[in-house]
Amino acid sequence: MIKNYFKIAWRNLFRNKGFSITNILSLTIGITCAILIFLWVHDERTYDKFQKDYNNIYQVMANRDFKNQIMTDPNMVFPLASALQKSFPQIKNAVVTTQGESDIFSFGSSQIKKTGLTVGGNFFDMFSWKFIKGNAATALKDPNSLVLTESSAKTFFGNEDPINKVLKLNNQTDMKVTGVVADPPGNSTIQFDFVKQFNYSDPEVQADMNEWLNSSWHVYLQVNPGTDMAALDKNITTLKMQHNINKDKISTYFSFPMSKWRLYSDFKEGKNVGGMIEYVRLFTIIAIIILLIACVNFMNLSTARSEKRAKEVGVRKTLGSNKNQLIFLFFTESMIISFIAFILSVIAVFCLLSSFNSLVDKHLTLNLTQPFVWLGGLAIIIFTGVVAGSYPALYLSSFNPVKVLKGTVLSGRKAVLPRRILVVGQFVISILLISATIIIYQQIQHVKDRDLGYNDDNLIMIDSSPDIQKNYTVIKDELLKAGMVNAVTRTFSPITDIWWKSPAPDWEGKPADANLIVNGFSTDRDFTKTIGVKVLQGNDFSGMPSDSSAMMLNKSAVDVMGLKNPIGMQMRYGRKTYTVTGVTANVVMESPYKPVEPMIIFYRPNNSNVVCIRLNKSANLQKGLMSIGVIFKKYNPSIPFEYKFADQEFGKKFFTEELIRKLTNIFALLAIFICCIGLAGLASFTIEKRIREIGIRKVLGSSVNQVLMLISKEFLKLVFIAFIIAVPLTWWAMNNWLQNYEYRVKLSVWLFVAVGNGILLLTLIVVSLNTLKAARANPVKSLRSE
Amino acid sequence: MLSLKNIYKWYNTGINRTFVLKDINLEIKEGEFISIMGPSGSGKSTLLNVIGMLDSANEGTYVFMNEDVFKLKEKQRSHLFKTHIGFVFQAYHLIDELTVYENIETPLIYQNIKSSERKAMVADMLDRFQIVGKKELFPSQLSGGQQQLVGIARALIVKPKLILADEPTGNLNSKQGEEIMNLFKELNREGVTIIQVTHSEKNASYGSRIIQLLDGRIEAVESNPNQLNGLNND
Repeated sequence: MIKNYFKIAWRNLFRNKGFSITNILSLTIGITCAILIFLWVHDERTYDKFQKDYNNIYQVMANRDFKNQIMTDPNMVFPLASALQKSFPQIKNAVVTTQGESDIFSFGSSQIKKTGLTVGGNFFDMFSWKFIKGNAATALKDPNSLVLTESSAKTFFGNEDPINKVLKLNNQTDMKVTGVVADPPGNSTIQFDFVKQFNYSDPEVQADMNEWLNSSWHVYLQVNPGTDMAALDKNITTLKMQHNINKDKISTYFSFPMSKWRLYSDFKEGKNVGGMIEYVRLFTIIAIIILLIACVNFMNLSTARSEKRAKEVGVRKTLGSNKNQLIFLFFTESMIISFIAFILSVIAVFCLLSSFNSLVDKHLTLNLTQPFVWLGGLAIIIFTGVVAGSYPALYLSSFNPVKVLKGTVLSGRKAVLPRRILVVGQFVISILLISATIIIYQQIQHVKDRDLGYNDDNLIMIDSSPDIQKNYTVIKDELLKAGMVNAVTRTFSPITDIWWKSPAPDWEGKPADANLIVNGFSTDRDFTKTIGVKVLQGNDFSGMPSDSSAMMLNKSAVDVMGLKNPIGMQMRYGRKTYTVTGVTANVVMESPYKPVEPMIIFYRPNNSNVVCIRLNKSANLQKGLMSIGVIFKKYNPSIPFEYKFADQEFGKKFFTEELIRKLTNIFALLAIFICCIGLAGLASFTIEKRIREIGIRKVLGSSVNQVLMLISKEFLKLVFIAFIIAVPLTWWAMNNWLQNYEYRVKLSVWLFVAVGNGILLLTLIVVSLNTLKAARANPVKSLRSE
Repeated sequence: MLSLKNIYKWYNTGINRTFVLKDINLEIKEGEFISIMGPSGSGKSTLLNVIGMLDSANEGTYVFMNEDVFKLKEKQRSHLFKTHIGFVFQAYHLIDELTVYENIETPLIYQNIKSSERKAMVADMLDRFQIVGKKELFPSQLSGGQQQLVGIARALIVKPKLILADEPTGNLNSKQGEEIMNLFKELNREGVTIIQVTHSEKNASYGSRIIQLLDGRIEAVESNPNQLNGLNND
């Protein structure tokens, strides 16, 4: 019987080419979209899962209570790891690592910068990386051993065996390659080009080992299965407290499980508030919705052409078919269509994957050897086939044979209302997605257009080094002399980041309960000139020795502290008192979505990590960079010349938002496209049904336009209803989304008016194009065939 | 074979009740050839559909082969219908997407008959109606008479005890119509009970009994002396 069904379904497919193509096309788009999104979601959801002890690995984090706000960070003191491992038997391993650093490796004459980690000796006991050469047990035995990833080994040594080769680290230490691991997978939170061990004989490291204040390291735990984590967290806090000099309790420690590192990384007031998971969920839902929109096309077209199938249903029933057998027949058809669409989708996915990867900045693959791919594929086929086929199958199989064979019932009429509801639903989603795309775009643009408080054009930043610090004055002179550069300064952190947060200084009249956190920053002279920030009151640092006890505030600090006349005020910070000499405009350095936080700026040329250079606007950029490179190579020969543009660094802050914008953009376009395909199909069926009516109307004197309007009206009405439903829904959803951003765009009514008109116009065009042929046909033809 | 007792069927139109069948009492024996006649709207087709279990009545009892049809469960009724009744329609109602061969085969599929057996049965039927050469054609490639032949072949394939024919020659020219009627006569002679609805006196005269319907009522039942019982006709 099944063979028979297949045969019939197959023939039906070819008999009704237009119907089949419409359905297969929309399902292919829907399934392709779903596969791509599910690959992305799968990648996000499997972050770190390749780690063998995935369920027992934690990162130690701290909630730091500053009275007015609780901040959460993973920065720990160096000795915490070993102290924990010694004190608590339930901890199998505790490892300390750096936060990730860039180092210069020299091999022969080539120097290459790589980023990696310096780790405690048990790093490879805790984390499972795939060793290609060497092994986990011995790789870090020697203090000067170095483990490289496969690709960094290749950059240094090509195809030669890297084991026991020696690289010079930062022009100082010889490091011997003792192992090569496969590159950390794309879905690993911990990324590195190399791993090396702390050199415990280094006096600096020895000092760190007894330093219980400086929190600059990450600490990871591997616990025995079944450990009571809540109790352990309490113990960690107690242990850390015992080493605090004044026993004050600011920080509460907790262990953050590996399963949450990627998707639940956001903390607010010390509580985990999700993170990427929200977008993962959202996109999962959207992918399913797009698949549903495609299924709706199938449902609508199937019920619309039910008249054609009605007779067959009637005959089959009189021949002894029962309802279930008919349902099965129709499901066979939808399954076949779903299967064909799936095969086409897989081909489409293979074609599109590389561009999708560059879009979402991932390395996704559709690996056909993995069982989950097959299971997922099967699930998609069945889901699509069942959902798309369900309504037509139930609807068609319920026909009364007597009535349909007599032809007394205009079949298809009963399905008109559900069909209308489905079309409205499709368009509600399309309108929602399109409006959302535009609103997200507006928000990003709004934030990008925000006054940053400085000029980020032609501003480059170069990481400092001991050589650069030593030769800074000469470098600056030569840069200015070369004429390509307007101004030079050096700063504590890049202008696009804050590395220093601390309690606010004390000033006269400071409220007793003011527990204020401020950002810290330090510069050399020419700060405001180079960065292009306005001095609102007082003056920039002039480089005089007295500047070492001077301090500048930003506008926000003046406002928050409530200072009337800040210039000349005394600020006590740490053990020193500073005089406020200037107030700068607010500079957006952290999140562009948030108001600028208060900042205090010190004059500390020796405490600099970044050199900022203002390029001459009129100079040739390429040439300018070349000549700057020459100067830096001259005075900083051991480190390759690398620079960053401030505006590009700032642009990186939009990564998530840009990603979401791009994805919703695609979703919206696909959704509206699928809707239009469905609309086109429905329109042609309507016309087929009303061809006689159109003929009669034309004989009676109706114009082509009037016929077009007659048919379009039916659809325009539906789109209009969809619009009415979609607007409040979108308003609500996007308003919610925008609440995530303190600096946000206002929703405008005009946007919805524009989107609504656009969709109505599109509907009119799609329906008219399909109606035009019928509307223009000679009425004699359609009437004669009667 | 079957008996209808006090069958009523009506539609409610507003406050009025429109009767389609009114107090139908009818006994049909195995081997009979019944013609149902009457003007349009007299309830002929409805009666046929009730007998064929495609439609139900509002009141009355219908016993088919000793089973009270209206009291049967859907599944049992479907089984009864599938194995004993064949339909022939005025408009043939062949499935356009299926070939002649497949159209004839379809009822067997619904009876879960094995593929090899099906082949043999369809081949027999094609032979009998001399349409072997046409088995790969689709209905649209056949003439009306040929389509009706296929329709009858399809009805006969399950070896039904009862054939219900709703104006089987209505769409055919007189020559084709005569052929079909002769075929029915022959089938009747072989023992198949036939109930046909017809407008034509000539066709009705093939039946052993003619039932005249008017406004849903049996107006008259005439025995046809020429064909009193199909069996002893010759």
